[in-house]
Amino acid sequence: MSAAGQIKYRNEASFDEVVSRYPKFPRLIARKIDVHRRGVNYTERTLAAIDPEKHQLYGWNGFKFPHSLLLRDGTTLLVMPKQPDKDPYFVDHFDGKFWLIDEGEAIEEVEIWPKPKYYEKRTNSGLRMGDVVSARPQRLDLFVTSFCYFYHVDEQGCKFCSLPKLHKTLRSENNLPTRLDPDDVRECLIEALKEGGRFTNIHITGGTMVKGADVGDLEVDYYIEILKAIGDTFEAKRFPSQLLATAYNERQLAKLRENTGLGSFTADIEVFGEEKFNWICPGKARWVGYKEWKERLIRGVDIFGRGNISTGIVGGVELATPNGFTSEDEALRSTLDEAESLAEKGVTTVSIVWMPQLGSQFADLKSPSLDYFLRLTQGLQDLRLKYRLTVDFDDYRRCGNHADSDLARLYYADR
Amino acid sequence: MTVDTIALDQGVIDLFNDPDTIKVLGTVDENGVPHVVVKQSAHIADDGNIHYLELIESSRSNANMVRAIWFDGTVSFTAIADSARSVQIKGKPIKAHITGALFQEHYERLRQRRPDTDLAAVWVIKPEIVQDQNPALRRAMEAEKHPHFVHLDQLAKH
Repeated sequence: MSAAGQIKYRNEASFDEVVSRYPKFPRLIARKIDVHRRGVNYTERTLAAIDPEKHQLYGWNGFKFPHSLLLRDGTTLLVMPKQPDKDPYFVDHFDGKFWLIDEGEAIEEVEIWPKPKYYEKRTNSGLRMGDVVSARPQRLDLFVTSFCYFYHVDEQGCKFCSLPKLHKTLRSENNLPTRLDPDDVRECLIEALKEGGRFTNIHITGGTMVKGADVGDLEVDYYIEILKAIGDTFEAKRFPSQLLATAYNERQLAKLRENTGLGSFTADIEVFGEEKFNWICPGKARWVGYKEWKERLIRGVDIFGRGNISTGIVGGVELATPNGFTSEDEALRSTLDEAESLAEKGVTTVSIVWMPQLGSQFADLKSPSLDYFLRLTQGLQDLRLKYRLTVDFDDYRRCGNHADSDLARLYYADR
Repeated sequence: MTVDTIALDQGVIDLFNDPDTIKVLGTVDENGVPHVVVKQSAHIADDGNIHYLELIESSRSNANMVRAIWFDGTVSFTAIADSARSVQIKGKPIKAHITGALFQEHYERLRQRRPDTDLAAVWVIKPEIVQDQNPALRRAMEAEKHPHFVHLDQLAKH
């Protein structure tokens, strides 16, 4: 296991020291959080051992690397490469296996995500299917538009978010349209579903489009088109799926629910607390507003049902400098209080680990401590237990990006 | 406590892998409540470990297996061929295949046999302790270790 000692880049307690404070917290999930927090760097041996036929790869600026990794308990790691001087974990290859390395020690065997069979096939329009619909270990991912009004028009994108920039680059590298064509999506789905046991969920998301009589009306109409194309590939009217979009009003949510087979709805509030929200997500604050965002989530429960509505936060961004909390205890208390105000009304909250991304306004900041993330992760899952909320549509398998919903695996049999 | 992996002898493997042998998985939950269920998919695979197919994501067994892999817990398999031949293997879950080649291979085979089923995981259990459960053998072994544990009438002259 990892050697004890101080990590110079961060000058903080070692992994073992932090984890030992929480004996009821699974070590593998703590490891996931720490990997997400610090990032990974792939060694030359790893890059040489990659098999593009077998492994799912990701490319950016001409550089190909593993899309991401799996731990031995089936936990997904979803992590981007990080420069060696930023104290990342390393992924090395020896003895015929890939290993997660920390401070020179091999601490866990990891697997590179397996490549789906449809990936290299082409749509009738000539697009590589893996570029149209990407995959996680058990989920299909549609990032339907690289355009985000907040970012590209208002210049009021969320400060932690690098996605508009990243997806614009990817779309230009792969000659993808700004908005995916529903016919291309349908063709990809038909091929993807031929692979038995490969997928359990379809996730659809994209940047915000504000146009319409009500803000977001055109966005809703476009998602309905996409969801209908997806629905064409299923016998059942409703299928396991998640739309992650702007917080819609009741009319828009009802329209989505009635006209598509969508299974669940998520609108990420990103950070709790109105003041932090206004600072970090100025576009969302201007066009919807903090209180209204929460209200729309709550009203969504009546439409999609309890257990099918959630919000996501970028865990830790509430501590971003200079306007974030200065105390982790205070940040945690405030965040969990706000999450509870939603949980008691039937809305569950999931978190991702904030690792400042290149291409975002917060690129040069640092993530909070591992200790903070362990407490936040446990706190969010405890709220689900307290209010008997499920998160089946966004768990370790159907998503894989939320350590808190990974913990839900222990409780499926209890309800 | 960590126990080294043991290599199972061929007799145990044959007994375990006989399709007529009943295989029973024993797990416990957070409070030590036992959960014991028949898992006929269990087999000793080429890697020397027990593999079994968990069909239901939300089953108690699956939750207990997750708890075991997260907190270094032990689970057991009892394989019963007949009244004279049974074996118990205790071990630790070391891997859950929830995707990938092995998972999909099992998924396809399972769905061919039973189209109404799904597959949640292929669990891999590393054997650590093997105990022959043959009643006569067990009694003899225990009698040798604990000669005081016997009713006297069984030793009396008749």
